[in-house]
Amino acid sequence: MRGRLRASELSLEEKFRALHWPFVLLVPMLAMIGYAVLYSAAGGSHEPWAWRHAVRFTAGFFVMLVIALVDIRFWFRWAYVIFAGTLVLLVAVDIAGSFSKGAQRWLNLGFFQLQPSELAKVTLVMALARFLHAARLEDIARPLFLLVPLAMIGLPAALVLLQPDLGTAVMLIAVGGGMLFLGGVRWWKFALAGGLVAAALPVLWANLRDYQRQRVLTFLDPERDPLGAGYHIIQSKIALGSGGMFGRGFLNGTQSQLDFLPEKQTDFAFTLLAEESGFVGAALVLTLYFVIVFLAFLVGMRAQSHFGRLLALGVGLNFSLYVIINVAMIAGLIPVVGVPLPLISYGGTAMMTTLLGFGLLLSVDVHRQMRIPRYPSEL
Amino acid sequence: MTGDPDGGGRALTAVEGGRLRVRLLAAIFALAFLSVGIRLVDMVSDATPVRSAASGDEAARAARVPARAEIRDRNGILLATNVQVLSLTADPSELPDPDAAAELLAARLAGVEAAELKRRFTVGRRFAWVKRELTPAEQRAVLELGLPGLDFRISQRRLYPQRRLASHVLGFTGVDNQGLAGIELAMDRRLRETPEPLVTSLDIRVQEVVRETLLRAYRRFRAIGACAIVLDARSGELLSLVSLPDFDPNAYERARPAERENRCTGGVYELGSLFKVITAAMALESGEVGLHDRFNASEPIRIGRNRIGDDHAKARWLTVPEIFAFSSNVGTVQMAFAAGGAASQQAFLERLGMTRPLEIELVQRGRPLVPRRWIDIVSATVSFGHGIAVTPLHFAAAVAGLSTDGRRVAPTLLRRDGPPKEPRVRLVSERTVRDLRWLMWLVVEKGTGTKARLPAYLIGGKTGTADKPGKGRRGYDGEAVIASFVGVFPIEDPRYVVLVTLDDPEGDEGTFGFRYGGWTAAPVVATIVDRIGPLLGVAPSDPGARQRFFARLKIVPAMNGRTGEMEEGLAALDAGW
Repeated sequence: MRGRLRASELSLEEKFRALHWPFVLLVPMLAMIGYAVLYSAAGGSHEPWAWRHAVRFTAGFFVMLVIALVDIRFWFRWAYVIFAGTLVLLVAVDIAGSFSKGAQRWLNLGFFQLQPSELAKVTLVMALARFLHAARLEDIARPLFLLVPLAMIGLPAALVLLQPDLGTAVMLIAVGGGMLFLGGVRWWKFALAGGLVAAALPVLWANLRDYQRQRVLTFLDPERDPLGAGYHIIQSKIALGSGGMFGRGFLNGTQSQLDFLPEKQTDFAFTLLAEESGFVGAALVLTLYFVIVFLAFLVGMRAQSHFGRLLALGVGLNFSLYVIINVAMIAGLIPVVGVPLPLISYGGTAMMTTLLGFGLLLSVDVHRQMRIPRYPSEL
Repeated sequence: MTGDPDGGGRALTAVEGGRLRVRLLAAIFALAFLSVGIRLVDMVSDATPVRSAASGDEAARAARVPARAEIRDRNGILLATNVQVLSLTADPSELPDPDAAAELLAARLAGVEAAELKRRFTVGRRFAWVKRELTPAEQRAVLELGLPGLDFRISQRRLYPQRRLASHVLGFTGVDNQGLAGIELAMDRRLRETPEPLVTSLDIRVQEVVRETLLRAYRRFRAIGACAIVLDARSGELLSLVSLPDFDPNAYERARPAERENRCTGGVYELGSLFKVITAAMALESGEVGLHDRFNASEPIRIGRNRIGDDHAKARWLTVPEIFAFSSNVGTVQMAFAAGGAASQQAFLERLGMTRPLEIELVQRGRPLVPRRWIDIVSATVSFGHGIAVTPLHFAAAVAGLSTDGRRVAPTLLRRDGPPKEPRVRLVSERTVRDLRWLMWLVVEKGTGTKARLPAYLIGGKTGTADKPGKGRRGYDGEAVIASFVGVFPIEDPRYVVLVTLDDPEGDEGTFGFRYGGWTAAPVVATIVDRIGPLLGVAPSDPGARQRFFARLKIVPAMNGRTGEMEEGLAALDAGW
């Protein structure tokens, strides 16, 4: 069996058997919780969110399985191309994207509103994994060599920042930085980067949009504007407090059902969940997320190829950043940055990105014994 | 670092270093998850639950606050009770943006000014009233704002279900439910400290009749004020006390000063000829004057430079019954002097309690204006009710004592079960009481008070039409009058005293333009008696009683010295007495 897995070619059935089934089954569980949350967010209705959430998940879940069964080397080969495609889409959004809430994030494909910045999170991981897979340790030690991956991170981040979408930009940088760290970049370079960022903060501040500044200021003192920018956080805090240990019951959250809670179907879905199911429910969901992240790290750890390991870890990194940032945001630990809760929040692209990532992760796991040469040409 | 074709050494190092880094990163993320989780625990346990007005602990808290005692009438009818109301308070230090909150609240709460709220939300204070007594719609609007730092407070609000009916007796309470007027203020401690209902002497049925009747007269004669009192002549309990204009104690803030004034107990008035009851009682009690005596009223009487005359002078000698029944000033002055003048008057007024404020369970208690120097002219005017001002209740209480058992009656607003036990000051003898009753009967039967005559009950009484002091400092303006009538019924065995005063009434066609108490106030008393007699279970006067009163009356021919015409002269017989 091991020998067969080690071989380049696996039959479809073998791949299917080799799937990480605990992981595969955990994912629908979260999606079902999301369904319930969205059902409640609509005041006890399948419309307008819950039903579409279910449909998208079903489609996405199928896509995830397909990606998982596709040979890992395919993704290795096409990583740069896919990444470049994403960059093109980001540029397209900046130029011709339709307006949405004052920020250009969406690309209207007619049947689908594509949010390339979400896509970028996965494709950046792919591209960096491939780059770092090919890099020698000595290469990585060379500062100039690092300019390439830095550009790979900086380009999409800058494009996303132009939209402007601070949250996604920060996430791209964080994921990219995490991958560089995993790739073996020296500690002191991170310290240096941190110092540069700190030095750049005033410049950044000067270039922030008004609403972004408001968010940061409001984070520092949420109650300075209770009905404006601070409203989200205050209402969220009230909701969490009102949930108590066991919650107010399904469909009974006063903050959320009475529409005090803004964006309860997207960024503040977890608040609704916490209010209606209490601390117990919130802790359960948080544990589910943690288990997924933990499994993702295990997948990364047991992958034989550098590409696979980095890809799996990058996906896990990305996913856990989603969760941590979202929950920290509604808990008032960080500013409101507009990061959805994966698989629970309503939103097509975010779910697609998550499931695409999971597909890649599962593919890494299926092909975990496979060795990948440094360059596709050697395949 | 060997040159392994597959980069084995590099791979190994990378794998070794990578593993460490992966673990490190995993640890960082686990830590992040943990801290977010801890934060959630913190928020869940730390945050105070959203308060709702209906929640149990709020209700319990409200229940622990002892409610102000209810006030009831003598039959247990509710006069004042409490309802729970919601008030809105704020902790400005918890308000995220006090100024914005003030604007939002002012836009949703009637009568709340944003500027005033901002002032109250001055930073540094931890408590501020936003609005008291919210309507349910306002409560909802506030809840929908979802502002932190606001709190609903359940409080008691005084409710007066009879509204205006007993406004001057009950008074009202302020925003913190403390008594501010009336019995609410006079009995504030009692109402706050004892939960049992306070039972008053009022009979709300009687009060209703009295108010309605008085209001009709008040409007008809366009009086600027009016007072009506129904007093249990034996126990001193006030069955009714109405002062007009009145107000709704549920909305006392809107009451004007004139409406708040209690004209029955707070205002002192020169009651004019009503006072002849007192002069007659004093004179008869002195033993110097009897019903058979006659006094010269053929011309005005001169006292020093002053001249006192009669309104419709008969210009002849008058018997004491005639003086009283026709309300002769000239005759009354002579009766007073015959009875001892100033010294007797002072002593008698003192005994009647007319020189001091009344002791009554109210705060508006007028202090009588009594003469400082009792020169002859003062004695003379006091005998017919000028130069001395007392409250209507003073007078009603005096009449109650003089017409029942001759002892002083202390009026009260609290129900007394049985007659008062404490010893009572004797005012006059029973013989004087009998004579006085007959004189009062005569006023209604043959004198100035015939408009108070009723088929069912024998009423005794006295009319009064006092000149009101003018706007200036001295003298009377000759225009405004206080028209009044005091009635006692049934006069053969008095149970109740009914007093009505009208402040500055205007005569109308029905009274041929007359403003006299006999024309304006007497019919009001008659109507009240006619209606409350049956309510109070007073049996109609039997024909025998009427005959006994008539048996003492001798009608003799007499010539009016002014017109030269013959008329009925009234004299008293001793038959049957």
